[in-house]
Amino acid sequence: MAKRIIYPLYQLGNPQLRIFRPTFNLTLVRPGKEQPPDTVQFRIPMEMTKFDVRNYLEKIYSVPVAAVRTRIQYCTNKKRNHLNQRVKRPDYKVAYVQLTQQQTFQFPDIFPEKDKKHEEGSVEEMQEKFMEDERQRQKPDPRRGGVTEWFGL
Amino acid sequence: MSAAVTSRLTAAVCRQFQRVVTVSSYAQPQSATQAFSKLHLCQRSQTYDSWWFRSSVNNRALHTSCVRRGLEEFFDLPENWGEQTVKSGAPWTAKQLRVKSNEDLHKLWYVLLKEKNMLLTLEQEAKRQRLPMPSPERLKKVERSMKRLDTVVTEREDALRLLQTGQERGRPGEWRRNVFGKTFWYRFKEHPIPWYLNSRYKRRRFFEPSHVAPYTRLSLEKYLRSKIRKEKREKRSQERLATIFPKKTALA
Repeated sequence: MAKRIIYPLYQLGNPQLRIFRPTFNLTLVRPGKEQPPDTVQFRIPMEMTKFDVRNYLEKIYSVPVAAVRTRIQYCTNKKRNHLNQRVKRPDYKVAYVQLTQQQTFQFPDIFPEKDKKHEEGSVEEMQEKFMEDERQRQKPDPRRGGVTEWFGL
Repeated sequence: MSAAVTSRLTAAVCRQFQRVVTVSSYAQPQSATQAFSKLHLCQRSQTYDSWWFRSSVNNRALHTSCVRRGLEEFFDLPENWGEQTVKSGAPWTAKQLRVKSNEDLHKLWYVLLKEKNMLLTLEQEAKRQRLPMPSPERLKKVERSMKRLDTVVTEREDALRLLQTGQERGRPGEWRRNVFGKTFWYRFKEHPIPWYLNSRYKRRRFFEPSHVAPYTRLSLEKYLRSKIRKEKREKRSQERLATIFPKKTALA
């Protein structure tokens, strides 16, 4: 993979360095704060630069990029483990990518509400049926007209 | 009769076309109006085409390429949105990958990379909304496939290097000894100047001074003694166990 490769020393006139099989992984995230409609927010690995992000998006995804801004998000180390030692959540880099050619992007709702229906013969379906039966059994007898259980023969 | 059939056919065709149109315009931002989104779509396809044809690699008259969806490739297909589980196949095995050509392998790498990006996006969004990620085993599958692909490609590179240069490693090196008499694998680096001009390199000492040599010998002795002691201890504990549990099954 690209990370383990040692690149040849660059000297003037040499061909540009090329990466085969890049290992960078971008994560498109929903922006926490309101962003302009042409800005896309990514979480990128720490070692990736602005130029890397631009080349990545243009070459692999063929998305026209106007500008890239990055920052590093410091994550909390307030958490304590069971030995009361500090636990650091790993930091990450955030990239704000602006698109060209009047393109806009809005993060879609990828978890829309769908009516949940368990498939035939699955465990969940059987459990639901069982719970329904139990609820029916727990109900008081309607013929008693609301008279308590302990009263009568 | 025939008129009815043709009308039904045309209706089916229309429905198909409508579906295509809805699918292609589905990915547009929801806030945009219909007219704007249509215009937007046309513009976008044009720009994409011009961008694509400008690159010198794809100057062939006919070529087939995968669907370019831009940023929508960071998301799953819209019909999988909101599902509990998404079906997926098995990861690629090394055996399957070894019969592929190098070009195909590199294409497959990018396919897997895009898939992994999509899954990471999905995972992050699920975390954010505090929902279970649909079929999280896909991430592991993709990772395994990528790892195997990488091993296959490195195998080929190694074989080629062995044939062409006879070097066993991609980065050459040799066993050297530092000032404290420890032997280590020194990996060669590229330098812009030869070593006899490189004063920083010449300052490094890859030998043990004469006053260190007895200590090197002592450290070796210590290491050998500890090794022997460890072996003996292990053997003794095995014997003790054998006396406590004389049955053969207990040892196994």
